[in-house]
Amino acid sequence: MNGTELALSVCGIIALYATIRVMLEKDTMKKLPFLNVISFAISGSIVLLVPHPLAIVAAAAYFVGSTLESNAIASTYSGGPRNE
Amino acid sequence: MPADPLHILIAALVCWLNFVTIDLLFKLPERGGVSGAEEIGRHIEKAGGALHGGYMMGNIVSSPDASAGTLLASCGVYAAGIPGGLMAALLVYIGNRICHDPGYAGTIGCISATFIVYGFTLIGFSAADFIVGMVIAILTIQGISHVYASRLLSTLWGWREG
Repeated sequence: MNGTELALSVCGIIALYATIRVMLEKDTMKKLPFLNVISFAISGSIVLLVPHPLAIVAAAAYFVGSTLESNAIASTYSGGPRNE
Repeated sequence: MPADPLHILIAALVCWLNFVTIDLLFKLPERGGVSGAEEIGRHIEKAGGALHGGYMMGNIVSSPDASAGTLLASCGVYAAGIPGGLMAALLVYIGNRICHDPGYAGTIGCISATFIVYGFTLIGFSAADFIVGMVIAILTIQGISHVYASRLLSTLWGWREG
């Protein structure tokens, strides 16, 4: 197993673990940090699988999109925007 | 290059120190940057955690901060060297603005991580070690125990505040 394969395997295992934690967690607000771990693992995997400069754009777009969704879910639960 | 678990562990430690230091310098635990981040902080406190650590974890969820910067910088250096890391910094900057985050923790964290990761590639590390290292680093904060992670971050925030 070379370095990239090991890195990819660890990212995959962590994503799977975080997925299980998301499913087991009852509180929606506390699901979001686990979801954040999944986003990290998948963004990393995208670039490890496709080592091309444009893959950085794909990983960043995926990451920012997923963050924005979490942001929207959390803001909705807190009663909507007040200051922003 | 052969796999080296020790390199991954060292990279995880370096990533952890880079993102926690920059997030603390940019006062992420002070308050929730958006209302959703505050709500996450309050839920973590209600479960037995510490409020300021919870705010920082909420901020990490709600907008690309230095942890996202470190991850994307590692990805950038892996795919395209220093220019890739700087391109990632630009994307993090745009991401911050999309997420209504007025801060610069993500962008600065990305630029610092670009040079740190590049420096380590010169002494035999691979940027892939830093990609997985950052995933492990964020796992320790967001993915194992919210109660203990928030208490640790609050303690560090106490030191930062003096």
